[in-house]
Amino acid sequence: MSLWVDKYRPNSLAKLDYHREQAAQLKNLVQCGDFPHLLVYGPSGSGKKTRIMCLLRELYGAGVEKLRIEHQSIVAPSKKKIEINTIASNYHLEVNPSDAGNQDRVVIQELIKTVAQSQQIQSNTQRDFKVVLLTEVDRLTKDAQHALRRTMEKYMSTCRLILCCNSTSKVIGPIRSRCLAVRVPLPSTEEVCSVLAAVCKKEGLLLPPELAKQISEKSGRNLRKAILMCEACRVQQYPFSADQDVPETDWEVYLRETANAIVSQQSPQR
Amino acid sequence: MDEYDEMFGIEDEFEAQFADELEVMAEMEPKAKRQKQDTVVKKLFGTTQTDGITPPSSPERPTASSLDISGFDPIPETPIRLTAVPTQGSSNVLKRPPLEGDYITVTDTVGTRVYLRQREEAGEKVEESRIVPDAFGALGLLAVPIRKLREHEAEKQILEESQRLTDLLAENSEEMCSRLWVDRFSPRHYTELLSDDFTNRCLLKWLKSWDTVVFGRERKARPVHSQQTSKQISFKPNQPNQNANRFKSKVEMTEELLEAELDQYKRPKFKVALLSGPPGLGKTTLAHVIANHAGYNVVEINADDRSAEVFQKRIDTATQMKSVLGANERPNCLVIDEIDGAPAAAINILLATINRKDGQKEGETAKKKKKKESILLRPIICICNDYVPALRPLRQQAFLLTFPQTQPSRLVQRLAEIAVHQGMKADTGTLMSLCEKTDNDIRSCINTLQFLFGRGHKQLDSRMIQSISVGQKDQNKGLFHLWQETFQLPRVKKRIGEGFEETPGLGGGTQRFQHILHLASSSGEYDKAAQGLYENYLSMRVRDPNLHNVCEALEWLSFSDRLNQVILHGQNFSLMRYLPFLSVTFHFLFAHSHVPRLSYPHSQHEKNALSTMLSDIPASIRTRISQLNLTLDILSLLLEVICPKLRPVNPQLFSSREKEQLKELIDTMLAYNLSYRQDRTPEGQYTYVLERVEDVVKFPGLPPRRQLTYQAKQTVSREMEQEKMRRAEQLLQRRNPEKNVVEAMGTAVGNSDVWFRFNEGMSNAVRRNVYIRELL
Repeated sequence: MSLWVDKYRPNSLAKLDYHREQAAQLKNLVQCGDFPHLLVYGPSGSGKKTRIMCLLRELYGAGVEKLRIEHQSIVAPSKKKIEINTIASNYHLEVNPSDAGNQDRVVIQELIKTVAQSQQIQSNTQRDFKVVLLTEVDRLTKDAQHALRRTMEKYMSTCRLILCCNSTSKVIGPIRSRCLAVRVPLPSTEEVCSVLAAVCKKEGLLLPPELAKQISEKSGRNLRKAILMCEACRVQQYPFSADQDVPETDWEVYLRETANAIVSQQSPQR
Repeated sequence: MDEYDEMFGIEDEFEAQFADELEVMAEMEPKAKRQKQDTVVKKLFGTTQTDGITPPSSPERPTASSLDISGFDPIPETPIRLTAVPTQGSSNVLKRPPLEGDYITVTDTVGTRVYLRQREEAGEKVEESRIVPDAFGALGLLAVPIRKLREHEAEKQILEESQRLTDLLAENSEEMCSRLWVDRFSPRHYTELLSDDFTNRCLLKWLKSWDTVVFGRERKARPVHSQQTSKQISFKPNQPNQNANRFKSKVEMTEELLEAELDQYKRPKFKVALLSGPPGLGKTTLAHVIANHAGYNVVEINADDRSAEVFQKRIDTATQMKSVLGANERPNCLVIDEIDGAPAAAINILLATINRKDGQKEGETAKKKKKKESILLRPIICICNDYVPALRPLRQQAFLLTFPQTQPSRLVQRLAEIAVHQGMKADTGTLMSLCEKTDNDIRSCINTLQFLFGRGHKQLDSRMIQSISVGQKDQNKGLFHLWQETFQLPRVKKRIGEGFEETPGLGGGTQRFQHILHLASSSGEYDKAAQGLYENYLSMRVRDPNLHNVCEALEWLSFSDRLNQVILHGQNFSLMRYLPFLSVTFHFLFAHSHVPRLSYPHSQHEKNALSTMLSDIPASIRTRISQLNLTLDILSLLLEVICPKLRPVNPQLFSSREKEQLKELIDTMLAYNLSYRQDRTPEGQYTYVLERVEDVVKFPGLPPRRQLTYQAKQTVSREMEQEKMRRAEQLLQRRNPEKNVVEAMGTAVGNSDVWFRFNEGMSNAVRRNVYIRELL
C-alpha cells in the first residue's frame, strides 16, 4: 500500500475530492433503503471503482474492506472446468467475467446464483441483500448480457448488481434500462491539480502549480495516471522544478514516434 | 570361415560390444539349425519355394555365422561343425533321419548322432545287389517282382508329396489374401530387424541386464577390456562425474548407463525402457523381437485399456504372475505401446510400480503394512511417438532410446526382396522414391506396395509412385516447421537421372497450395499457427511499396478471427475447415526464398506474466486494478517509481529520509509482487533482472529505461527478502498469539511440575538442573 495512488485513495463518500454532488446523491440512495441495480460508467481513471467501494462501505460499514481472493472453479454444461479468481468480502463479490472468455455466461449465472441463494441470517442488523460487482461489463459477450437480464430480475430480493464499464455503448438496452446509470466523468484539470497538491501536501512535498498543471495535461485528466506520474517525477527529481519533464508511459511514446515516422517526409536516407 | 575365426580372436573389443547379442545368437542356435535342416529337406524335394526372406546384410550376419565356429559356446560346437560343414559340400549328413531314402546312423565320441544319407551310387549298388536276387525272382518267392513293388511305392510317394505341396501352396495363397504384408514380412529374428543397429543393441543390452533377477543367472564375465571400462565407471561416482559426463558423446553416455551397477535387488538402474520416435520405424516390432529373443513372454498393453484401474491391474498381472498352465513358461516382459496417449493417472501408477521398493522397505521395518506389494521384478518397455508432458516424470526414471530414421538403403533392400517374392517388378530407384515419399516409414512403404499389388500393378515405376496419393502420412511436424514452410519458397529439387519430373518448386502453384494446406491442416493448432503468422509476417522481406499485401493479410487475419469466434460461440465446427487457408494465403503473400528468421509468439507469454503478477497482489490493491489498466497506466510508470536514486553506500549509513524512501520502495515492490532475480549473462557477469513484467512494456527503438545500479539492486533485493521474512513472522505471530505468550511466560512446561520463570536482570533465573526428558 505504498504507491500514492493506493495510499491516498478516499474510502468514504464524504472524503471524495470531486463530483461532490454526485456523492451526496449516492449517499441519499443508500439511506433511502431502496437500492437499485447500478450501472457505473465513465472513462478510465475517473474514479468509478473508488466510488463503488465508498458506496459499499456506506452500505455495509468497514467490514467490506476485509477482502480476500477466492479461486472458484465452475463446471460448464460441456463439462469444461473454468477457473476464475474473485475478490470477495462478507458482503460482496467482485468478478471480472471477461477473464472467462467465451464461457462468461456460465460464470456469471453460476456466481450470481450461489451468492443470491445464501440468505443473510440477521436481516435486522444488516442489509437483506448482497452485492455482486461485475467489472468490464462492456467486454461481456451478448450471450452473457442476455443471460444477465433474467438473472437480475429473478434474484432481486437477495442480490443487487453493480456493473462497471467504460462505455454503455456495448451494454445492451435491456440491461441499461434495468439499472440506475451513474456516469462518472473525468475530473477537470483544476480538480486534478488540487488532488495532486493535496497528495503532495500529505507527503510533505512542495509541488509547484505549473508542474501540477503540466502533469494533469500530460495524463489526459486520468487521475490514476496523474498521481503515478507525480510520484515518478518525485523519484526522478526532488525538489520539483516547474519545468521538469514528466515521464510518460512507453506505449504512448512509441505510438507517437511511429505516427511521426509515418507523417514525416520520406527520403532516401530512411 | 576360418577368417572369421581369426578376426574374432583378435578383436576382443568387438566381442565385448556384441557379447549380449552373441548370447542371444547362441540361444537361438537350435532354431537356426532347424532352419538349415529345412533348407536341406527342401533342396531334396527340389522345390523353389523358400520359407522366409533372407535378411538384409548387416553387421550381425557375419557374427552369427562366425559364432558357429568361434567356440564361444562350447556345447553346441560339435554338432554345428558336423552340420555346417557338410551343408556346404553335400546334403547327405543330417541331424534327423531323412524322410526318404536309406541312411546310416553314426554316433561320435561326444554322443551326438548324425544320419548319413546313402548316396545315389550306394543306392544303385544296393539295387544292383537286389537285382541279383531279382534274377532269382523267377524262383517265385514273390507274386509281383520286388522291383515293381518298389516302383509302385515310389510313385505313391511322389503323388503324396505333390499333393502335400499343392496343399501348401494353396494355403499360402489364401494367407496372402487375408494377411497384410506388413505382418507377413515382419522380422522374426534379431538379424532381420531393419532399425538402427545401435538402438537395437542398447535395448538388448538393457533387457539382458535383467537376466540376473529374472532368470537367476549371472552376467557373463566380460573380457578384460570391458572389465577395465566397468572399473573405470565404478570409480566415477567418487569423482564429480558431472564434468566428466559433459564431454562424452551421447553414444558413450548410453553405453555407460547400460554398464551401470545393478541395484540392491540386482535389477538394472532403469526399470523401464522408453522407446520414442515417429511412427513406422519398427519400435513395436523391435520390442517384441528382442523380448522374445531374450527369452521373455511378451505381454502387450495397448491403447484400448488405459483407464487407471485397468492399467494397474494389467501391470500387476503382467509383472507378478506367470502362466502355470500351458507350455509357455517363460517370464513376462511388459510392453506398453503408445504410452503417450495414456492419462497422467496411469503413468503415475506405472511410476509407483517402478518405485515400489522404498515402500516395501518401510513396510519391512515398520508395520509390514505393504507386505502384499512386491517389488518390480520384470522388465517394462514403453513405446511412444512424442514426449507429452504427462511423460515427464517417467522420462527421468526411464532408459531413453530415441529411434533414428531407418536407413533408406536397408529399407529399399527389404522392399526389393518383398517385391521379388511377390512377383512385382520394381527397380531400386522406384523404391527409393517410395521411401522418400513416406519419410522412410517401413509400415507405410509396405502397405503402399501391397495396395499397388492389390490393384493389379505388377510393374512399378517412379512416375506411378509420384502420382499416387497413398503413403503420405498425416504427420504432425510442429509449428515451427509450418511457419518455416509458409514463409519460405521451396527450393527447386534437382534429381539426377529423373528428367521427366516437373519441379515442385516455383512453377507449381497448385502443388505449393496443396502442400501448405496439407501441412496446416495436419498441424491442427490453428490458433497458435495464426498467432505465429501474425507476429512474424511483418518482418518478412516484401517488395510491396503500397502495402497491399499487408492489408490483405490483415483482412485474412480478421476473417479467421471472425471464423474462430463463430466456431467457439456457436460450436459450429464445420467452419473449422476454412482455418488452414490462412497459412496458404500468407504463403502466397509473403513467401520468399530467404530462410526466414522466426520467433515464437510471445504475447501469450506476456499475458501469463501479467496474470501471475496479478494473482499474488493483495486483494485490497487487486480490486482497483484490472489487467487492462495495469498495462496501460500503471506498469510503465510503476517501473519508473521503483528506480529511486539511492546512494551507493551501505544502507546502514542512509539518512532517515533515505531509509524511509527505501522502505517505501520495498513496500511498493512487495505490494505489486515484483522482485529481482539474479541472472548470469553469457559473459559471466551477474545482473539483477526484474522478474516477468519488464518485457511487457518494452518497445523496440525507445531509449532504455533508467536502471538501478547493480549494487542498489542487490541492496533492494536483500532488504526485500528480510522484509518478507519479517512479514511472514508477524503473520505467524498474529495467527497464534496466545501460544507464544504461554510458552514465554511462567507456566508449567509439558506435564512436569517444573515452572519456567525469567527474572529480568537476574542471572539466577533458573536454579534447577532440568533435563529435556523431564520436560517431555
